[in-house]
Amino acid sequence: MKTSVMISQELLNQVGLPEVLQACQCRTPQGKRLKDSTRFFTRASQAELLEELTTIAQLKELVKAKHPQVLEAQTQLSRLRELRGTFSRLEKGNLLDDTEFFELKSALTIFFRLSRLKKLLSAAGLGFQITKEASALLDPAGTGNPAFHIYSDYSPELGLIRKRKKELEREISLAKGNQRKILLTKRTLVIAEEDKLEEQIRWQLGKNLAQWLPQIRHNAETCAILDFRLAKADLAVRWKGTQPVVVSETEPARLENCRHPIIAEMLEKQGLHFTPISITLQQGSTVLSGANMGGKSVALKSIFLALLMTQLGYFPICEGLQTTLYDFMAFESSQDGDLDQGLSSFGFECIQIRNHHRRSQTQNGLILMDEPCRGTNPAEATAIVQALCRTYGTSSSTFLVATHYTINPAKGIRFYQVRGIRPEALDEMSDQQINQESDKYEDLTRVRKIQNLMDYRLDEIEGAHQIPSGAIKIAELLGVDEGLLREMMAAWQEDQWLNSD
Amino acid sequence: MKKTDASAFGTTKTLLELASLENLQSLALIGMSKNAGKTTCLNHIITAWQASGQTRPLAITSIGRDGEPKDIVSGRAKPRIYIPAGTLIASAQGALEQSDALLEILELSNVRTALGEVVICRALSDGYVELAGPGSAEEIGLIADLVRSYEPDCLFIIDGALSRRSQAGSGVSEAVILAVSADTSLDPELLAEKTRFALEVLQTPALDQTDKKLLLNACQANPQARALIAIGKVQTIAVEIPSLVGYGKEIAKNLVPETRILYLRGAITDQILNELLKETNFTHLSLVAEDGTRIFLKPEIVRKLRLRNIDLAVINPIDVRMVCLNPTRTNGQTIDSQILIDKMKQTVKIPVVDLGPALL
Repeated sequence: MKTSVMISQELLNQVGLPEVLQACQCRTPQGKRLKDSTRFFTRASQAELLEELTTIAQLKELVKAKHPQVLEAQTQLSRLRELRGTFSRLEKGNLLDDTEFFELKSALTIFFRLSRLKKLLSAAGLGFQITKEASALLDPAGTGNPAFHIYSDYSPELGLIRKRKKELEREISLAKGNQRKILLTKRTLVIAEEDKLEEQIRWQLGKNLAQWLPQIRHNAETCAILDFRLAKADLAVRWKGTQPVVVSETEPARLENCRHPIIAEMLEKQGLHFTPISITLQQGSTVLSGANMGGKSVALKSIFLALLMTQLGYFPICEGLQTTLYDFMAFESSQDGDLDQGLSSFGFECIQIRNHHRRSQTQNGLILMDEPCRGTNPAEATAIVQALCRTYGTSSSTFLVATHYTINPAKGIRFYQVRGIRPEALDEMSDQQINQESDKYEDLTRVRKIQNLMDYRLDEIEGAHQIPSGAIKIAELLGVDEGLLREMMAAWQEDQWLNSD
Repeated sequence: MKKTDASAFGTTKTLLELASLENLQSLALIGMSKNAGKTTCLNHIITAWQASGQTRPLAITSIGRDGEPKDIVSGRAKPRIYIPAGTLIASAQGALEQSDALLEILELSNVRTALGEVVICRALSDGYVELAGPGSAEEIGLIADLVRSYEPDCLFIIDGALSRRSQAGSGVSEAVILAVSADTSLDPELLAEKTRFALEVLQTPALDQTDKKLLLNACQANPQARALIAIGKVQTIAVEIPSLVGYGKEIAKNLVPETRILYLRGAITDQILNELLKETNFTHLSLVAEDGTRIFLKPEIVRKLRLRNIDLAVINPIDVRMVCLNPTRTNGQTIDSQILIDKMKQTVKIPVVDLGPALL
């Protein structure tokens, strides 16, 4: 995945992928391993992704309906243990101990029970191989008892030894003093015979079981896939994920009412509500602008997470999503740079810009940038962002940038804007009220108040984007002193006058 | 049925009757020292259980390691554990390899020890077993649940190990047998006094139900708190400190004249009490421990507590059913058990017996 998803671990954490993976709860060690391998599906593996998504959709219906076969599968899967060590020892022809035979016997029972869940397996697109003979090796009398020991049924000789031992034990239980000691010594000799024979049986049993190792391994892998798919289906039910539609590379990515599950959960805990985002991303550039605190960063993270989850074979948390499969995905946000390499944040940003651009020459990428060049002088920064928008505008990659800089229209550049502070909400609150109340509030309360005034939805706009004059209003709402606010307004008006045509 | 010599009580009763074991669900064996005779006592219980034709099976585990042929510390020969067919065993894989009873594996517990995972087995034949169970009371609880899923009606016996006194109680067993040996003292009078004091501490009375509920609710709300303080009827203060030792001042800082209860979660030692006794506001209250096995106090400290009007109480009281006496020291010296029993009879209210060597 690392080569296809160009994002630092720190940003990956900010985007929320680790929490998503954690929320997807596999029950088996095999399933957890499969999940942790985080396979990134591309166009080359489109057919496999489609199969994955279709099966998750089918399983989702069964999970939603709490189908008894789902519950039975979850119960069986939660009993499956790590088997890699035992498989490896079996393969190498090592002597297995009784707990390993027990583990194998339990695993075979689980495979058998899962193999009877036809409806579930059909939905999951999976099948188990028959290992009846292997099961019979570990249950020679065919009792169906899940316990295990080296059975007397393996060898008539073992049966006879144990019979002798049992007789001795009966005598021991009645004997006292020296007689008991003599009998205990006799028993030790019989046990030595029993141990020797048991070991021979263990060697033979291991050899016989090794013949079934390919089938047993296949079934363990089937459990891993079933477990992972069930976990993804369960996550889709819990988070209201939707089956994404994969379209050709020339078609746009469309996200309908997309939510960021982790941020939404966090907001809900605070009694707040996450506003779903809808956007269409055409090949080329899309510029997202809007007021400060308007949720541009959250929008970018939500969009990236939804598209990343899709290419990792998960259901994105949207009401609808269509996308092509990108060859690579990149997400950049202003960072502190890499001090080990002596890079400033701008230096680090430039390297990322260079790398993504180079890669986009040969591959279709999805590149998201959150306020690039925010630490550079505005004139050059605007030029850089403008150049990026123009260049990606005519490329086959998809570039989405959140910026405060004024980007002029050009071929292949589309504009979106966060709606921002709702004028009607602001109208309801007089300036006097704001000023009077602002001192009373703690900063957190002020932030909450602003969040209530905000409309986080995105609108596609035509032509050059208008910078919404929200920043000074936010400063006011956050309780900046009146004198300083006056200075801000004056400077703003002066700037508008100087730059007006 | 084997009769136990319990002449000290002027009667001859079976071991099971003496300790009222027949209707018990769980029992822990704890020793006042190493070589206290827990394993001998366990072997006697097993023999008595079998001889009396009990229909309920025994299930045996240990806290830590026990049952090896030699004492892992001293290297001396130790009594082994001989079980009848039908007994359930919860022991680590490595220890099971040293056992010679034919064992059927019922379940792998996912509880790990230094000797491997604890395995739940049923003995299909009589034989010797080595026990190496989980290290914590919480894991003992998990093992008990697993064992009961196979034999709901068993008598679950937890055999202690060296220095594990603190973990054998903790609400995991319904009753306790205390093993005492001459290693604790060769002087019958001193041994009797030490045993009496150990029993007094082990049997520290329970806190009343309302206060218990109050403290348990406070624990639930503050799982990290090592000390909980109850003031008045409903108010509690949770003190979050890394350990009890070295934080006496921190704890005492939260004590006010209206403090009724100080609950310390963990081992209550002389060291902590010496810190607390330096504080003037540590007075007129109930000092509460999880159970009697968590209290490691010398008699003089307990006396000092009384002088300060501080009484000891526990969340989970321990029902000590019997004292098993081992009159032989580790070095082979033996003292007259009858004299010991007579001495103990004067101060100890529960049966005290010398069961003699186990039949092995």
